Amino acid sequence: MLTELLTALEAVATIQNFLIMAAGIWAGVVIGAIPGMTGTMAVTLALPFTFYMAPVPSILLLVALYKGSTYGGSVSAILIKTPGTASAACTALDGYPLARQGKAGKALNMALYSSVVGDFLSNISLIFLAAPLALLALKVGPPEYFMLMLFALTTVAGVSGTSLLMGLVSACLGLLLATAGEDMYGSFRFAFTPDMQAGLNVAPVLIGLFALPELFKLIVFRVPPPNRSAEIGDDHVSRRELRPVIKSLLRGSFIGVVLGAIPGIGPSAAAFFSYGAAQRGSPRGANFGKGELEGVAASESANNGACGATMIPLLALGVPGDVITGVMLGAFMIQGLTPGPLLFQTNIHEVYMLFIGMMLSSVLLFGAGKITMRAFTTISKIPASLLSPVVLLLCLYGIYAINSSMFDVVVLLALGVVGFLMYLLAIPTAPFLIAFILGPMIEENLRRALATSRGDPLVLLSSPITWIFAALILFVIGLTARREIKKAQDGKAQPQ
Amino acid sequence: MLRLLASTAAAATLAAPLAAQEYPAGSITLVIPYGPGGASDLAGRALAESAGKYLDEPIAVVNRPGAGGMNGARSVAEAEPDGYTLLLARVGMALTPAVNPQASVGWDAYTFLGALEATPMILAVQGDASYDNVEELMTAVAENRGTMTYAASGATAIDGFTVQALLSDNDLDPLTAATLIPYKGGGALATALLGGHVDFLAIAAGSLMPHIESGDMKPLMVFAPDRMDELPEVPTASELGYDTAGQITGWSALYGPEGLPDGVQSTWDEVLGEVATDETWLEQAERRGSISTVGEVDMTQYAQSQYELFRDLAVEFGYIEE
Amino acid sequence: MNLAILRGLGTVAFFALVIWAMIPVYVPRPNFIPGFAPPPDFWPRLVCWAGMALGLVSTIMAVLEQTPPVDPDEAVEATAPVRTLLLRFAAMVAALIGFTLLVDVLGFLLAAMLLTAAAIALTGERGRLAAVAICVLALPFGLDVFFGEALGTQFPAGALFR
Repeated sequence: MLTELLTALEAVATIQNFLIMAAGIWAGVVIGAIPGMTGTMAVTLALPFTFYMAPVPSILLLVALYKGSTYGGSVSAILIKTPGTASAACTALDGYPLARQGKAGKALNMALYSSVVGDFLSNISLIFLAAPLALLALKVGPPEYFMLMLFALTTVAGVSGTSLLMGLVSACLGLLLATAGEDMYGSFRFAFTPDMQAGLNVAPVLIGLFALPELFKLIVFRVPPPNRSAEIGDDHVSRRELRPVIKSLLRGSFIGVVLGAIPGIGPSAAAFFSYGAAQRGSPRGANFGKGELEGVAASESANNGACGATMIPLLALGVPGDVITGVMLGAFMIQGLTPGPLLFQTNIHEVYMLFIGMMLSSVLLFGAGKITMRAFTTISKIPASLLSPVVLLLCLYGIYAINSSMFDVVVLLALGVVGFLMYLLAIPTAPFLIAFILGPMIEENLRRALATSRGDPLVLLSSPITWIFAALILFVIGLTARREIKKAQDGKAQPQ
Repeated sequence: MLRLLASTAAAATLAAPLAAQEYPAGSITLVIPYGPGGASDLAGRALAESAGKYLDEPIAVVNRPGAGGMNGARSVAEAEPDGYTLLLARVGMALTPAVNPQASVGWDAYTFLGALEATPMILAVQGDASYDNVEELMTAVAENRGTMTYAASGATAIDGFTVQALLSDNDLDPLTAATLIPYKGGGALATALLGGHVDFLAIAAGSLMPHIESGDMKPLMVFAPDRMDELPEVPTASELGYDTAGQITGWSALYGPEGLPDGVQSTWDEVLGEVATDETWLEQAERRGSISTVGEVDMTQYAQSQYELFRDLAVEFGYIEE
Repeated sequence: MNLAILRGLGTVAFFALVIWAMIPVYVPRPNFIPGFAPPPDFWPRLVCWAGMALGLVSTIMAVLEQTPPVDPDEAVEATAPVRTLLLRFAAMVAALIGFTLLVDVLGFLLAAMLLTAAAIALTGERGRLAAVAICVLALPFGLDVFFGEALGTQFPAGALFR
């Protein structure tokens, strides 16, 4: 194994490969940081170029873009509350308040450290644990998926702000909106127009709901966010701030790796999962959503942890877990390589080259993140009266370009209005979004499980994995109920 | 930079009215009605690469997924018939209008420029399953009275029809003899069988070949006109005497909006003639596990026959009433 | 009747509307689903019943004046007469609707320029003419070129330029 590793190292360590990956990571960070431009877009964009490249560099380029864009999503999430990717939604919940408190630099650095650690640990797991994790992933059938995603949905309780009830109402709205479009059996739901037959895409819903209400707030109330530029120098995460965060950071990476390895779950659900877990476990849980570094760390370590891990089912089983790894599978096939168990026998040299390249990419991610961060912090010097309209403009172009679809743009604008109305009614938007993303996974796996069992609901509790998660769900419900009751009693004791 | 500005200005202002003899005078958009990375995406990108060489103009590939392919198909059917917006059509463009009354585009709302490839479908079970041929599998299905499960993209999707046609050929009820479990996408379908969450499936060869090569899946039958080169010992549905199943296979074709000018059609006739023997095209088709059919099929006739086939099956299976 | 009660009643009304008016019409039940498998309307109905129950509970809580106080950081403060606030909101919504309609006539680029200009005007920005010009004119043009060249995106051209 050692000689094989060394020959692979020799083959992969060329200036050319280094440059390709550096360019890929950096382009990914920038694309991810631009509102409306997503990692899927970056990878699709690069696909035609890979036709003319050697197999390993072409895959490394795609991986670099994927990782870079997953981190880059956090930059715009923190600075302008416009998550570049859905997996950065929870990052925005704490990152944006931090930026408004003049701690943008701290939040960006914390996001970068967490991303790099998550990324590094997920590369290690890919190299050493690919086979067992892939086997575990295969065991996850519809009932297990259902319980897992239902548990991820309990994060809603943590992001509801002061009113749990309104958070749950918001989640119901998200679940309902997610049902629009093609049903799993082939009919169409809520297809008011032919465009609705395809359902609503995540990107316009996400950005409409998070970024555009900020513009509305500025226009209607004309209270610009405080000018943060003076304090941008305060950007280092001190050791005192880092220590209490480490637990959430490592837990987030672990959650990211395990969930990322299961096809179909992906970085967004992993980030929600980890954010919820961190909030319940942290002594400062009540401060989550108001600018807590631990929240940024939990979300970012999990989404980048999931990034490398999505390569596990792709390489070990030959099944892509999401759209991006789907594009990578296409790239492998074009190169005449077939991912799957045989790849480790027939192309072990290429596999090792890939592994070494991915380890290198963690280091590059750190460098690219540092450089980009500096460039992007100048954003906070732009006055809000210009910045918010420009964000709208960027979103218009980015969202249109994803599918060349005017309907997506209409969804973006409509959800912007909905998001602002929800703000006026004090209904939190984060539960809406989490439910919107998790909803289809919950519904489809519930219906799959019931179809397999011919209608017997006990199938949902048919394996140890489901028992564990059912117990965890009950535990969280109990915990939340106790907290609410306590809050109500405190309220009575000290009427305001 | 000047070139950039000039080409954008041209694209913005002169997109539509170009004389037919000058076609193509700008880049052509090829719409792929499914997401990136799948079999249709790879086929579209390969076509863009090969045909682009003979057109002297680039072909830009755009993915417009959703509504079982109807979303992208509709955007092309409703586009200006100037030859600058074309569709990588799949079997779904003939199937969905035949079986789904909610479909937003008819099977014939296009100009049929030509066939591209046939993509075989494979009936497979887990590698360690106790069935070694179709007959044994069908006996088990009949004995289990509907409790056996198969994965497909949807009841009225092509990979659902493969199984239902086979059941019907075996005098079993196509809708209740085995239970359909819907999954989205080739990767998820393959994983469902690999993990043992369903008993069998019959989906596009591209998603299954890696697992068949590694021995994790066992191929029982091929839905294609001929046996596959990679699986010479696996019989086709027609060879086994399954009449309905024998007519079902996957395919890709090139469509444009209805009413394309003759000049555009003759240009594409020439280009596709070149593509038919293009080495890159043929090599990439082989890697995708498909068989190039460029120039071998009268597409208008074939699309109609496919539509009628699925229409008849949909009535027979009880999806629609007539 | 305060805002919290209205909000609760609105929630109940919305989900009731979906259950009784929209699902029966817009969620067709195909005749090919096996009887034991949950049909397409199963999940939307379940979600709506849950939403309606939550709406009812929040209405009752509001009537009993048990509504938790709104977070002061997120509280809505009227910085101008309500009439002005409503007018600004209406103007922005009109600008967005105007954009979607104008795309068909003027094309994506010009419509986007107009929308950006309208949004900047509505934020109350009156100075910084050079910066405004860059945001309104140069930036959209740059984005148009960038997406057109890099992704091959063809933005709608508009009827005037066909």
